[in-house]
Amino acid sequence: MGQTTTQTQPYTYRRFSPVQRFEHMILLVTFTGLALTGLPQRYADQMWAQSLIGIMGGIESIRIVHRILATILMAEAIFHGGVITYKLFVLGRRATMLPGIRDLRDAIHWVLFNLGLRREHPHLPRYNFGEKAEYLAVVWGTVIMIITGYMLWNPISTTNLLPGEVIPAARAAHSGEALLAVLSIIVWHMYNVHVRRFNRSMFTGNLSREAMQEEHAEELEAIERGQVEPELPATVFARRKRLFWPYAIIVTIILVSGLIFFITYEETAIVTLPQRETVFTVNVNPSAGDADRGEAAWQTAECASCHGPEADGGTSPIGVSIVERQIGLEEFVRAIRLGPAEMPGYSTAKLSDDQVADLWAWFASLRAEESASLPTTTSDH
Amino acid sequence: MIKRSGQILYAIFTAAILCAGMWLLAFATPPVVAAQGDADVTVDHPPTDSDCLVCHTENTSQQMTLANGSQLSIAVEHDALLNSVHGTTLEDGPLACTDCHGEDIFPHDAPPAASIREYRITQSNICIDCHREEADSLGDDVHYTALVEGNHRAATCVDCHGAHDVQGPQRSDLDIAQACGDCHQIVYSEFSQSVHGEALTAGDPNVPTCIDCHGVHSIQHPTTALFRNRSPELCADCHADEQLMAEYDITTNVFDSYLSDFHGTTVALFEQEAPNVATNKAVCYDCHGVHDIARADASNSHVIRQNLLSTCQECHPGATADFPDSWIGHFPPTLETHPFLFLVNLFYTILIPVVVGAFVLLVLTDIFRRIRQRLSGNRHRT
Repeated sequence: MGQTTTQTQPYTYRRFSPVQRFEHMILLVTFTGLALTGLPQRYADQMWAQSLIGIMGGIESIRIVHRILATILMAEAIFHGGVITYKLFVLGRRATMLPGIRDLRDAIHWVLFNLGLRREHPHLPRYNFGEKAEYLAVVWGTVIMIITGYMLWNPISTTNLLPGEVIPAARAAHSGEALLAVLSIIVWHMYNVHVRRFNRSMFTGNLSREAMQEEHAEELEAIERGQVEPELPATVFARRKRLFWPYAIIVTIILVSGLIFFITYEETAIVTLPQRETVFTVNVNPSAGDADRGEAAWQTAECASCHGPEADGGTSPIGVSIVERQIGLEEFVRAIRLGPAEMPGYSTAKLSDDQVADLWAWFASLRAEESASLPTTTSDH
Repeated sequence: MIKRSGQILYAIFTAAILCAGMWLLAFATPPVVAAQGDADVTVDHPPTDSDCLVCHTENTSQQMTLANGSQLSIAVEHDALLNSVHGTTLEDGPLACTDCHGEDIFPHDAPPAASIREYRITQSNICIDCHREEADSLGDDVHYTALVEGNHRAATCVDCHGAHDVQGPQRSDLDIAQACGDCHQIVYSEFSQSVHGEALTAGDPNVPTCIDCHGVHSIQHPTTALFRNRSPELCADCHADEQLMAEYDITTNVFDSYLSDFHGTTVALFEQEAPNVATNKAVCYDCHGVHDIARADASNSHVIRQNLLSTCQECHPGATADFPDSWIGHFPPTLETHPFLFLVNLFYTILIPVVVGAFVLLVLTDIFRRIRQRLSGNRHRT
């Protein structure tokens, strides 16, 4: 369609600046990556999601990738805030992205035109209702995702301030918003810039006259009339710039600090603790032990029921022979306090450090007897 | 082949012993003189049970000294054997002593074992000669592996099944738990006070005993990643069973609600994709407890409201009072229980189809116009 028009009017119009194209690139990469690493988590019970997660290196890996992309996207959001502020308040540009009643009228007009109920295609401005809807969706969506993402990333500090229920609610919103964004992009964005016409302006910066006529007729007419936005007086521009940069730097520092806080404050959602390890110190003085007291302690504590009255393992299938075991003091104390395998741990309340020293002394005497009476040891293994 | 020829040998052998027994009863007073102490008496035929029982009486005080100095009693309760699964109920009659212990001609030496334990382990290996199927299933069984690796404390056949008094596999669940408890005393005492253990003691046939979760002859080490990743399904075997849970008025939504939670989603993915890789996300027993699991509403339960924070803190040490509420429980959220969550879900249930539907309609009108234009041959729009 429209070959004739493009041939007779071979003009293209500059539409997007390099900065805008750069921002779009960031958005394109992070959004796609976030969707690819995020949506399979929403549908983790489905086969396709499981294989996708598997292909991308497993759930823990994709969660890390998801967080890295989210960090880049948040940095981009901060940058975009700066760009917008500069354009509106330093360059004094009009807020052409701001939606209004006019866009609703344009949309209705366009639908009526499509249905054949109006003869004229609406004359659309620089950013038409479709683009404004998308921009609004991106801003709204990103804000929701950042807030709920913070809650999921930092559940402890969130529940310090808010009721616990916000965490599953944040999860539901994060997941619902993601689905909404992806479906909207697939239906609306894909159709408008890829299916209906492959619109390369976001990559080349330029748009054909034909496309301009259909999608931005009002802007095209203004350009062709030679209407340009009035140049800002140099003194005003210089004054605004002097004001802008200190504020921009301060706000950026605050926001970037906020971002760093966001991503580093809590690790609980990523690294939960490994199994708790009981810490203990050897407070046993081996030289203070008394063998006779040790033998008495052995009989009164329940040691003998598993290890036998003579500490040789007895008849119980699990009782280890202490006499035959060549263990050091630390291993010995650790075994008593923590209880390896089937053995229960004995706290200092049950068996004091002094008693442990006594037991140690008794074993030492038993070992001495053993080695004296049995010069040839039988191999057990 | 080996199995079959072994069975044939046994059959012949048992028949021979029966014949010998009958011969003894019919014609002879026992030719064997009671062998007491070191009396030098010899027997010139394969020994029969009655030969053995001359010395190995129930009440004998005779002991053998093993290499490490331990004293091993030679007493045998023959009646226990006769009443055992190898006893009179066997089709071919009870097993003879020699079936398991070999045909040592009297007098025989002390068994070549360094300790009582070692003797017991060697004797256990005899079981495998007949019970091939069970032996083959041992594979990487935790006890068997430990035994092979030289850990003499690991359970062998007779530790669980008994020796002369061995009973068939149709033991009661409580019996089984107690057999495990002989060694795993701490676990057993925890278990017996748990909701499962108490019901088991009270005779409830549905509650799990040790082997229902751990298996029998191919017990896996319960600290492996594999065991952990699969454990929710283990619990779900019973707890997602409508019929079974109806008896106890317990919701079967526990498994599905777990899977839809962050922890459960992650663990299920590990189970699917990397079952041998450990995950730090909670499984059922991280919150409910392992052997000490209690009713969720019992005061000593790990998951009752007043204990939940400290349970969460085991993995999330900084958690504060409101943190446990981020777990919504095993019931679907309702407007009454979780208004905020409920409304968020409702919001997106409405918003997503409305927004996406609107976009689809808009796109359709555009497609409609393009088709119409093409059909009418009107190539110029506007």
